[in-house]
Amino acid sequence: MTWGWRVAKYTWPEKPTLLSTRVLRLDGPDKVAGRARYTYDINRPGMIYGRIVRSPYPHARVTSIDLAAAQTAPGVKAVVAYRNPGDEVHYQGDPVAAVAADTEERARDAARLVRVRWEPLPHVSIEAQAMDAAAPKWSTTQENTRPGVRQETGNLETGFNDAAHVVEQTYSTHVITHVCLETHGTVCEWDGDKLTAWVSTQGVHQCAQGFAQALGIPQANVRVITQYMGGGFGSKFAPDSQGIICAKLAKLANAPVKLMLDRKEEHLDTGNRPSAFAHIRAGVSAEGKLTAFDGRSWGTGGAGAGSNFPLPYLYQFPNRKRVHTDVYINAGQQRAMRAPGHPQGCFLTEILMDELADRVKIDPVEFRIRNAPPIAPNAQWIKYFQEGARRFGWEKRHPTGDPTPGPIKTGMGVSAHLWGGAGRGSTAHVDINPDGSVVVKCGTQDLGTGTRTIVTIVAAETLGVPMNAITTEIGDTQYPFSGGSGGSTTAASVSPAIRVTCTDALNQLFAKVAPTVGVQPDDLVAEGGRIRGATDASKSVAWKDACKLLGTEPISVDGKWQDGLSGAGTSGVQFSEVTVDIETGIVRIKRILAMQDCGLIVDRLTAESQVYGGVIAAINFALYEDRLLDRVTGQMVNPNMEFYLLAGMSDVPQIDVVLNDMPERGVIGIGEPPTVSTASAIANAVRNATGATIRSLPLHPHKVLAAIEQQRAGGTN
Amino acid sequence: MSDKEDRFGVSRRDFLKSAGVGGLATAVTSAGVTDVEAQAGPRVIGPGDVPVSLTVNGKRLELRIEPRVTLLDALRNRADLTGNKRVCDRGSCGACTMIVDGRTAYSCSTLAIDVQGKQIRTVEGLAGANTLHPVQQAFCDVDALMCGFCTPGFVVATVALLEKYPNATPEQARRELDGNICRCGTFVRIMEAAMKAKTVAGPPTRQARWGDMGVARG
Repeated sequence: MTWGWRVAKYTWPEKPTLLSTRVLRLDGPDKVAGRARYTYDINRPGMIYGRIVRSPYPHARVTSIDLAAAQTAPGVKAVVAYRNPGDEVHYQGDPVAAVAADTEERARDAARLVRVRWEPLPHVSIEAQAMDAAAPKWSTTQENTRPGVRQETGNLETGFNDAAHVVEQTYSTHVITHVCLETHGTVCEWDGDKLTAWVSTQGVHQCAQGFAQALGIPQANVRVITQYMGGGFGSKFAPDSQGIICAKLAKLANAPVKLMLDRKEEHLDTGNRPSAFAHIRAGVSAEGKLTAFDGRSWGTGGAGAGSNFPLPYLYQFPNRKRVHTDVYINAGQQRAMRAPGHPQGCFLTEILMDELADRVKIDPVEFRIRNAPPIAPNAQWIKYFQEGARRFGWEKRHPTGDPTPGPIKTGMGVSAHLWGGAGRGSTAHVDINPDGSVVVKCGTQDLGTGTRTIVTIVAAETLGVPMNAITTEIGDTQYPFSGGSGGSTTAASVSPAIRVTCTDALNQLFAKVAPTVGVQPDDLVAEGGRIRGATDASKSVAWKDACKLLGTEPISVDGKWQDGLSGAGTSGVQFSEVTVDIETGIVRIKRILAMQDCGLIVDRLTAESQVYGGVIAAINFALYEDRLLDRVTGQMVNPNMEFYLLAGMSDVPQIDVVLNDMPERGVIGIGEPPTVSTASAIANAVRNATGATIRSLPLHPHKVLAAIEQQRAGGTN
Repeated sequence: MSDKEDRFGVSRRDFLKSAGVGGLATAVTSAGVTDVEAQAGPRVIGPGDVPVSLTVNGKRLELRIEPRVTLLDALRNRADLTGNKRVCDRGSCGACTMIVDGRTAYSCSTLAIDVQGKQIRTVEGLAGANTLHPVQQAFCDVDALMCGFCTPGFVVATVALLEKYPNATPEQARRELDGNICRCGTFVRIMEAAMKAKTVAGPPTRQARWGDMGVARG
């Protein structure tokens, strides 16, 4: 309800008491005590366990599926076929059938009794192999490649004519998987024709829609709950095959079913970051200005999924052309992964930038400043290059190649990134009760980014009450619609929705209490647990007494995100210092500096955690993780956590985070940007240390050694 | 032997003992039991449900489970103790870390039947009714968690660290916590939490003193 006689105007407070401070994560105590119930932890009365049977082949046709032996196995309550004879599967791990049994162990036993007969088909596992015209096809009905984006600006011929130096090289990044610690999965429970699904998801409302469509039931009959979830990183927006299978098993068995994927399934069938390759020819003028970029790129998103990424990244090439090709192989499909496309485009461009800088003999920071977009609210790179270089001690950086004797070489690198992070139409509901309690409801979800906490911060700030006066309800489709938590949009969507809704509710309360306080509603403010006159603070009423005036009827308000409280466009720059053992090829990171903005910071503590997390994720991308497919068998050789390498405590360097407050820009997301440029900064530091350029990720020791060997042999530097 | 080797040696040895060498150990002990059992070779348990008695957080837990059920699954699926998480399920990520007779153990790679009679501590056993363990409080205070799925394992590992080294150095902490993986990237603040907690964690517990005297480590 709005008041016709006043125009609602929504702004952030000029002097906030909670916003932008360091507020402890509200669900911290439940998480550290093991009390937080994730989907994996939901145990329902009479619950049984689901298990999926998957293709062991990278490419095959199903000849027959025999469920009989599984159906009569001990403890089995339901068996379903997910594919039909004649169906083609396109990757190892493609789901085929499923069972549900009274214990997990028996479900695994029964799954092994499902007899599937296969006609194996030829497969392709490597991009270069798939692009060969004589290669086997990933699918019997589709080609291995598809033309992707094609972009052209300016005039390449003019650009290369203006160039004093030209670099021409091939660069690449690898496929990694999300490795959510809580695997994808669902607990499904039917009550007649109504489904309740606990899902480890980044989008409860999106999931409800997905269940309804796949099961052919009204969306109104589906309730999705996600109180806590153990990591998604872009891979958890839909029920997926495992969710639909779980719902079917539960219906068939007439019992709640828990179906959580195991670690191998998680690697094979829940998404990955596509690879990226580019053959690039680029020119630079004698004055150090970029003149031309000619790039031919390709990459694979697996079996039938695209692989686009921004190229060239960030820097201003006046004349440029880029042609992309999507390559398909027999591997699980890609999904959005933390800043989709950006880490790839950033790496391919930033390594090239250092090579160009060396050609014109200009310091890499200065070279970037000359070629970065001009400073604007959403383009702070030049400022961050300058300030970051000063903070990091960039002046101590030596030219390419550490001249000191001994096997341990030290180097510094720099890299920059951008991201959108805009808000969109979240909705919310707030009740102010006569006893003074406040309930805020929003159908968003907290992936670990701190959404539950920021919702509460905004509500408490707006209503002028302590945070413990607010009950925050999220993670349930019974609450008002909010979009999936992806694209760093959540904080920028949810914070304005809460601000608008709580402001409207407060205005209603002001109207109610104005006569008692003796001040016009327009002149009331709420702060410190009181409602008082804005100009005459002596006229006031305590929050609880104000709410008593409501009698029996709570204030109950719905509201929606509005433009003006959130912004879009972030910029960041990162610096890295590494050591490289040129005898073993092992890279150790000494320290990283992250310069980052995200508009109005809601919770400084959790915003900083996002940056730490983004940087560490990118350390993994740069140095450790790699999805390895065996080209002969098409099998993933490391679908686990001992050979799929991730950083541990000893691998994490000193990380310094500098957040640039820009409250005038409104709230902007920060989940993705800090993970974009770290790997490039590390790779450039390795180049600075060794004098050898490694043009492909990850920077595994054998590649570092090979690059050093090539450089010694008079290679391409 | 370095701390790191020690830590890995302990848990992996335990796992091997339970998984592969169990038959040998049983054969040795059964020699003194009855002739019938000795002649029949190692006693076969299962494959059906058998009684298993566990002592978890000081409380007795009587279960009927198959011998192949891990400690982690027994507690999560049969006793609704879901605090410790299943992540890699093969002893490489540490999310399932529990303290068994004073030593950290990967409960996903420990059979429940093998830890009967031992003192098992899970993340649920650390907090009081209204207060958190100092380690848990420190994790909250410095935001050493994000999604929280690795957190119980890290909390337990940090408790074990400080019981072993009440004045742990950063280097000791790094080594003792190297068996745990976080995907959100909370390591920086976990280290902060460990260093903060050691100042308030108080005197070592009895189990830690056993460990220091080498009794628990064997």
